[in-house]
Amino acid sequence: MTLLARTFQGFNQWVLREVSEQCFEPITPRPQALSPLFKLDDEFLHIGEQWPFLLHFLYDAKAHWIEQHAQPLISGIWLEDCQGKEIALEASALYVDGESLLIVHEIERKYGETAYRLQSSRDHLLVEEELEREVARRTRQIIAREEQISLCLLAAAGCRDEETGAHIRRIGLYSAVMAEALGWGIDQVDHIRMAAPMHDIGKIGIPDYILQKPGALENDERSLMETHAAIGASMLSDTGIEMMDMARDIAQCHHERWDGSGYPKGLRGEEIPIAARITAIVDIYDALVHKRVYKPAYSEEKTYDIMSSMSGSHLDPRLFELFQQNLAQIQAIRQQVQD
Amino acid sequence: MIQKKICLLGAFSVGKTSLIKRYVDSIFEEKYLTTVGVKIDKKLVEIERQKVMMMIWDLAGEDDFCKLQVSYLRGASGYILVGDPTRPHTLDRLFCLHKKAQKNIGNIPAIIALNKHDLCNQWSLSFAHREELEELQQPILNTSAKTGDQVQSLFIDLATQMLSN
Ligand SMILES: Nc1nc2c(ncn2[C@@H]2O[C@H](COP(=O)(O)OP(=O)(O)OP(=O)(O)O)[C@@H](O)[C@H]2O)c(=O)[nH]1
Ligand SMILES: [Mg+2]
Repeated sequence: MTLLARTFQGFNQWVLREVSEQCFEPITPRPQALSPLFKLDDEFLHIGEQWPFLLHFLYDAKAHWIEQHAQPLISGIWLEDCQGKEIALEASALYVDGESLLIVHEIERKYGETAYRLQSSRDHLLVEEELEREVARRTRQIIAREEQISLCLLAAAGCRDEETGAHIRRIGLYSAVMAEALGWGIDQVDHIRMAAPMHDIGKIGIPDYILQKPGALENDERSLMETHAAIGASMLSDTGIEMMDMARDIAQCHHERWDGSGYPKGLRGEEIPIAARITAIVDIYDALVHKRVYKPAYSEEKTYDIMSSMSGSHLDPRLFELFQQNLAQIQAIRQQVQD
Repeated sequence: MIQKKICLLGAFSVGKTSLIKRYVDSIFEEKYLTTVGVKIDKKLVEIERQKVMMMIWDLAGEDDFCKLQVSYLRGASGYILVGDPTRPHTLDRLFCLHKKAQKNIGNIPAIIALNKHDLCNQWSLSFAHREELEELQQPILNTSAKTGDQVQSLFIDLATQMLSN
């Protein structure tokens, strides 16, 4: 045996030359490690359907030989099942001295090293993913807890008038539906769901005799009542929390009107923060479809008629259109969230 | 006898190898052993009285550093896209691989396996993911390599599609 042949065998490489279509003649003896894959008296390597991977590789190898490349084309690793064991192999094709050569390598060591590296990096990635999911889960828990606390406090603050816990909760959920329909990110949707329920928190500074008066308010009483927007805004200011900034804007501006006839500042159109325009729509809807001291509960139809007549003057017309498009979801929340 | 090649594509650790092991050998391993390179399994099936030898190519899963070698798709008659909804980002990988496959081998039959359905209480598919899945307009099966749920159907449905193609 030539030195070269022994070297190839030592590296568990079997060198063959192409003799005819899919048939290869060994140039070096077949390494021991490959023996289990062959019958004892197999002299040639016939690459038929029992070698689907090699057959697939031959297609690329042929092109390589035709172009007479001397540098090897490597197949990539594949595994063959053999008596319940997997044997890792790799093939290369090259063209040397006028011959199309195929080398089949048994690569147990290389395979082991590659597998070890890949496995460690993937196990590591999976642990990282798991940690990220855990952080996300805990964050959601914290947000949910904050929201519960906030809703309890708001219900307590609103218990002198008719701002029931369910009303407060609905305002948040309706607003979130609108925000989602607008394509807001999940964080912004979370923010408005928590912020919108705080729109009337300033009513805590309004005396009972005004808040609970069944009939119409006198002018001076009305002026006092209207201060709830500014009181709320100042209560919610300067927290350095993004969601609370949104809550402040909503408290401040939810009585502004699209045509500029609202209070406290008479802002018009898009000068009014969008979160406040959304809250105005859903707050009016919820007040109309439920009973108040000054009115009975209206039907969905009547509510719709009233709100339509407000669109463009009181309410942002584009947002009102969006509200109509999502009315089914809004109505479902109305049904689900009751006192 | 007809021979058909199919490939399993997906992110790493979504259960490609496990689906094949369940289908071919009826076994399931809890321990994760990542696939290195290519492993081809064979399974003889009979569909509408035709015997078909399925050559099932298990390809190494993708991550950011290790990409699918598209030449392995050559000659495939169909492919299975596997995602693991307990790890929603594997769906993004699934969409990419679908595009890659279409670009390289054209429109051939494909089927989507949302795997690990036994853990469906831990699935977290966003609305956007569901929409994108629907837009692919490919059959979707909720599979579990662990319980065997829908695994037969996965391969048989794909093979049936391939034969009628
Ligand atoms: N619970 C559950 N676990 C599964 C299921 N399928 C696979 N697994 C587990 O998920 C892990 C990954 O499975 P594999 O089949 O190796 O995944 P793969 O897609 O082949 O991974 P790569 O070869 O690295 O791309 C293993 O720990 C499996 O036991 C399933 O349906 N349910
Ligand atoms: Mg695998």
